[in-house]
Amino acid sequence: MAGALEFIPAIPLLPFASFLVALLAGYFAPKLLPKGGAIPGIVATAGSLVVSVWAFVTVSQGEYIAESIYTWVAAPNAFSLHFGVLVDPLAAMMLVIVSLVAFLVHVFSLGYMNDEGEGGLHRYYAGLGLFTFSMLAFVVADNLLMAFMFFELVGLCSYLLIGFHFRQQGPPSAAKKAFLVTRFGDYFFLIGVVAVFATFGTARFVATGEGAHAFPHMAEQALAAVGGEGTMPAHVAHFLDVVGMSAQQWFSVVGLLVLGGVIGKSAQFPLHTWLPDAMEGPTPVSALIHAATMVAAGVYLVARMYGFYALLPTVLAIIALVGGFTALFAATMGVVKDELKQVLAYSTISQYGYMMLGLGTGGYIAASFHLLTHAFFKALLFLGAGSVIIAMHHNENMWDMGGLRKKMPVTYYTFLSGSLALAGIVPFAGFWSKDEILYEALIYGAGDSPILLAAYAMGLLAVFFTGFYTFRMVVLTFHGEPRSDTAEDPHGVRWNVKFPLVVLGVLAATVGLVNMTPVAEATGLHIEFLHTWLAGPEGTAFSALGYEHYHHLLESFAGYHAADIAPFVPAAVSLALALGGAGLAWLLYSGPAPTKHTEKLGAARTLLYNNYYQDEYQVWLAKGVTLPLARGADTFDQGVIDGIVNAVSSISLFSGGRIRRIQDGIVSHYATMLTLGLVALLVVFGVTGGWF
Amino acid sequence: MVPMEYYLLLSAAVFCIGVFGVLTRRSALLFLMSVELMLNAAGINLVAFSWFHGNLSGQAFTLFVMALAAAEVAVGLGIILTLYRNFDDIDVTNATTMRW
Repeated sequence: MAGALEFIPAIPLLPFASFLVALLAGYFAPKLLPKGGAIPGIVATAGSLVVSVWAFVTVSQGEYIAESIYTWVAAPNAFSLHFGVLVDPLAAMMLVIVSLVAFLVHVFSLGYMNDEGEGGLHRYYAGLGLFTFSMLAFVVADNLLMAFMFFELVGLCSYLLIGFHFRQQGPPSAAKKAFLVTRFGDYFFLIGVVAVFATFGTARFVATGEGAHAFPHMAEQALAAVGGEGTMPAHVAHFLDVVGMSAQQWFSVVGLLVLGGVIGKSAQFPLHTWLPDAMEGPTPVSALIHAATMVAAGVYLVARMYGFYALLPTVLAIIALVGGFTALFAATMGVVKDELKQVLAYSTISQYGYMMLGLGTGGYIAASFHLLTHAFFKALLFLGAGSVIIAMHHNENMWDMGGLRKKMPVTYYTFLSGSLALAGIVPFAGFWSKDEILYEALIYGAGDSPILLAAYAMGLLAVFFTGFYTFRMVVLTFHGEPRSDTAEDPHGVRWNVKFPLVVLGVLAATVGLVNMTPVAEATGLHIEFLHTWLAGPEGTAFSALGYEHYHHLLESFAGYHAADIAPFVPAAVSLALALGGAGLAWLLYSGPAPTKHTEKLGAARTLLYNNYYQDEYQVWLAKGVTLPLARGADTFDQGVIDGIVNAVSSISLFSGGRIRRIQDGIVSHYATMLTLGLVALLVVFGVTGGWF
Repeated sequence: MVPMEYYLLLSAAVFCIGVFGVLTRRSALLFLMSVELMLNAAGINLVAFSWFHGNLSGQAFTLFVMALAAAEVAVGLGIILTLYRNFDDIDVTNATTMRW
């Protein structure tokens, strides 16, 4: 079995091959391409899935890998830039998630794109292949620079796929928005990568082998040296002198810079505005973006370099606050939306807020757990929504649906499984993971940290809204009486839609069972498999990537202390809130002809419906502040900088124009000048050399 | 026995006549003749120094220079012919097209 880790590069490269096949064959020989490129994509992602599972099994036997594959810049006595793979339990778990979701999305696309007779399919499948490739390569990246490069590629692919229907009005604009907003965050990330290189001289996540360094470890050494233990690495000490800040301050700045990219990609406040618009893309793409690729990349990045973040209490507090606030903020907006995919979009923002809350409050395992469960139930919900959209002939308004429960039972029951998971109802997946995040936030918050408590309170309140909007969505879509002709007679869906739904539906119901912390606490059984999985080995270089190590860092550097609170009461509270929200939605919207209760909210509804005017104020920022500033800079550039350059060159131009007149083409004049020059030279040599 | 200075003065005089011709004449043929004068002034110098040092290689070189001058005249006459064809004249001050 040991051979699996040598095939790791094949995991990302297989979808890359399907990208090439779909693109080239689709362009040069479309008739040779079965199903517009779907078959190569399905085969490639299935291959990735098989290798990922194989790697997962190998990792579970305690064999990890971290090695560089290709060095593209190697400078002596300085840093080298390289591509490499790092597969540890976290990466192995993520590989399986991404390749599984990508595989199911490819299968689903057969039903959503091919059966619906869409054009340009080779472009679509090429995009999916490149997207999967970028994300898988990002997951196995062993250094921050490589991670950054594939992070950018993921952004590019989202642009290509969101704007798939580029002839319509909305998608190109949504694609540009997604690209620009995430670019804005990535700009900070890029500076952060450079700062990491400048500070530490390396961007590796983990150091294996002789003379290798990893930046989280060096940061730990530096901070320990400030506290009086050990010595600070010379490189770091030198750079801290250059920037003139203490180690803690400077590392926090670097951490926040990298966090900029995370906030953009994972759609956290205030850079979340691109995500609801990204619903313009085809629904399978939304599933891929929200569950496995794009949005998950941000949270995964924080988890990947958690050894660095765990040292910095300020940054952790910011992550927790941003996460908690986003969870609540997005959940309230989801409450009033009329369109199925819009509700899901806001739920995604909110759920990633929970993951950030978990990471910020020290719940590394809880956040990874939520990443896992969310990937399955959100992919399920989007694919379910896709199935409903096929049935409804691409009408997404929930007020035109209703009564679909009897017409499409497979979709209904799988969608219900995903909804119960999203709302956090026991025993579906989301309950276990969300509850663990909230529990971790509570115990660390109660251990003398009011900021974390505030973040916890926001997260807890959001549970109620989550339950409400989830069941408002389910009830409006599937229950009651059909409210339009298409809902009376929905379009049927085939196996290629039902198969992914069933797989994910079963997973959404069961995957939470891998980490039932409250049950383990109550019974004393060792059934917290994810804890064991992520705890990390002992005594190897990889123990620096394990939770045991992170826990130690959190306690000794970030000053996190867990209060002793039993998990049952908090779990009961959040479950009660979720049930309360769901019950309220049921009360308000069930029945054959539900009324639009949101209209009674008055001004609050307008505010929520316009997403708290986030778009408006960001457009104002761009138009009212950035544009005049850029104009001013342009004037300065054109007038002053270019003015100086042009003035200098005009002197040469003018004198050149005058001097060239002596070259008049009359050969006698040239001869005269030669003779005069010779005489002048002779005179000069004579005077200085002493002939006269 | 003629002293060395006489040869050098003769050579300088011939060279100056050549330069004067190049600077003042407009006809390309006279131009070419003046250039020949300058070349032969240099030849006189070579022969004179060869004789002065008792070494015959300078005189041998001068024979080569004379052969070279003959070849050069052939090229020069060719150029003059082209000049005449293009400008209907061999006045060098007319051919002023190769300038800015």
